[in-house]
Amino acid sequence: MTHRIRSIAVWMICCYGAYGVAGPAFSSESQDQRINVLEQKLDRSLKLIEELSARVRAFETQHSNTVEPAAAAENSPPEQQRLDSVQQQLTQLEDSNASRGSGGGIPLHGFADIGIGNHTADRPNFKGANIGAVDIFLNPQLGEHTRSLFELTFEVDEHGAVQADLERAQIGYQFSEAATVWIGRFHTPFGYYNTAFHHGQEIATSLRRPRFLLFEDQGGVMPDHTVGAWLSGAEHLSISKLTYDLFVGNGQALSSGTIDQRNGGIDHGGAIYGGNLGYVFGDTLSGLKVGVSGFRAAVSDDRQPGRLTRVDNAGVYLAYDTDRFEHLAEYYRFSDHDLTYAGPAHHSSLGFLQLAWRLPLATPYLRYERALLDQSDNFFALQTNGMSYFRTAAGLRFDLDAWSALKFELARTKNTDRLIEQWSDVMLDYTIRF
Amino acid sequence: MLRSVDVAIILRSGAVFLLTQQTAISSGAIRAQWLLAIGLALPFISGISDSYSPPDSSVLLNRLPARWRADDGKILSLDSLKGQRIFVAMAYATCHRVCPTTMARLKDLQRDLDAQRISAVFLIVSYDPINDDAAAWRRYRTSHGLLRDNWHFLNGSVADTERLARMLGFAYWRDGDHVMHDYRFVALDRSGAERGVITSAHHDLRDLL
Repeated sequence: MTHRIRSIAVWMICCYGAYGVAGPAFSSESQDQRINVLEQKLDRSLKLIEELSARVRAFETQHSNTVEPAAAAENSPPEQQRLDSVQQQLTQLEDSNASRGSGGGIPLHGFADIGIGNHTADRPNFKGANIGAVDIFLNPQLGEHTRSLFELTFEVDEHGAVQADLERAQIGYQFSEAATVWIGRFHTPFGYYNTAFHHGQEIATSLRRPRFLLFEDQGGVMPDHTVGAWLSGAEHLSISKLTYDLFVGNGQALSSGTIDQRNGGIDHGGAIYGGNLGYVFGDTLSGLKVGVSGFRAAVSDDRQPGRLTRVDNAGVYLAYDTDRFEHLAEYYRFSDHDLTYAGPAHHSSLGFLQLAWRLPLATPYLRYERALLDQSDNFFALQTNGMSYFRTAAGLRFDLDAWSALKFELARTKNTDRLIEQWSDVMLDYTIRF
Repeated sequence: MLRSVDVAIILRSGAVFLLTQQTAISSGAIRAQWLLAIGLALPFISGISDSYSPPDSSVLLNRLPARWRADDGKILSLDSLKGQRIFVAMAYATCHRVCPTTMARLKDLQRDLDAQRISAVFLIVSYDPINDDAAAWRRYRTSHGLLRDNWHFLNGSVADTERLARMLGFAYWRDGDHVMHDYRFVALDRSGAERGVITSAHHDLRDLL
């Protein structure tokens, strides 16, 4: 009887220990190295338990006929102590794994999406099924203050070839919540959308970004990425919060009709610099953020060597993001100058309004976009998609679970200068994060 | 008269030992021996440690980071919750997709507990400790109508938050202001051991009652 009960107790502890060690290891990030280490530790612990079990059995067999039960009971405390010691070791292993944090490896996360429709999300001359992006996201925590973020995106270009883009590569030092300095390639902190929503489309409510905010290689006309330095932070006020951004980086270039962020450095041209100031309301207006932003850039182009266009941008934005609504509005005004020929200022304006309602079963949204772009402005005239347009869209987002969403969008777009044309989109997008 | 007396002593570790004694004793002596055995066993049962009773490090609650800042601004020690049923969830105040579902389900759970007259403590630990200070959690509670006294919205250090998340199986990561996380909460029984987990794949609240 005693033998059986002790065996049961030992195996219960074994099972508990195996669960305690293996459970967190497998529920945490799937890094082979960490799992191997834990498995080795678990094997050692199980061997130790087996040895102790064998000792208990041998001890009981040896003493069953010769030792009085009372004497056996007196011997049980040391054995119990050993079993407790083993149990504690297993618990410590589990705790060690939990406290190791991300130092045991780099968590691998990311996003992916697949679309289908009568047009693709960013190329109206293509239709059918299309691979949106596979986005590998790495943000290892390198210490108490050092931060890093790398986002490697695989996309399919218009020729069907897979292109790899290092969309974000930034290393930062966080002095406090009020100040973090980043260097590298980051999302230029103008307006709200560009730093609130990144490459993983699963985060965003809508199926696609506003057309003028598409990333540069997708046809966007704004400098969404900057390679340089970025100071960012927030200051809590009594019930509200003030956010700020200051940045400086390589001046962009226009190359083959798209904006080149000049990741490798610049050999000519100027710089881009700017800032963003936001105010986050509390209490009754909780969820509301308003702000202003601006940047100035000296942009070169590949049509005329040595030519520089000074791009001045000012913007205002509003975001009302709550459990029930996601309403966004942005407006930008450009005043650009050709520095080489000292001509007049070229004025352009762009903006969008998006209204979304978070309902229990789905999130419907409406969006209106408008871009009035001066076609005598080098900055827009030399971009493939630098024409004026307007777009109206209605969509629906279904959250299938915490990690995936299905999006449906109907849209009507019209280019209003350069080459006037219009088309309608019917699109479906299945997006996940992992 | 020859009688057999079995005394069960239950140690806190869960191991059970039977001490069998065979003695020739009278009925009165048997009662006296029972009383003596119970008296000897009481210290083990009641938790008064003997010389070799191990610390109860196997209980999950004891291994979680102990001290958290609650939404009332005071420090909440998890030790003070021993003996109570506890439900632990993680959330952050500016989450508008998954966390509202978590809160709705916790409300359902509270309603079911109330119906069965079961008391419990609800702990909601912030995924975003830098932004979700006590004031932010208070505003969240007020705006979401989560004002019951047995609900505590907690904020800890980044390290403690990560540690608790790992120990309770809350996987999360960040992209800017967005915290990527699942729908999940964990139930601890009155001893502090894990009683059950609710996830998007396993969501029958009755399993936790």
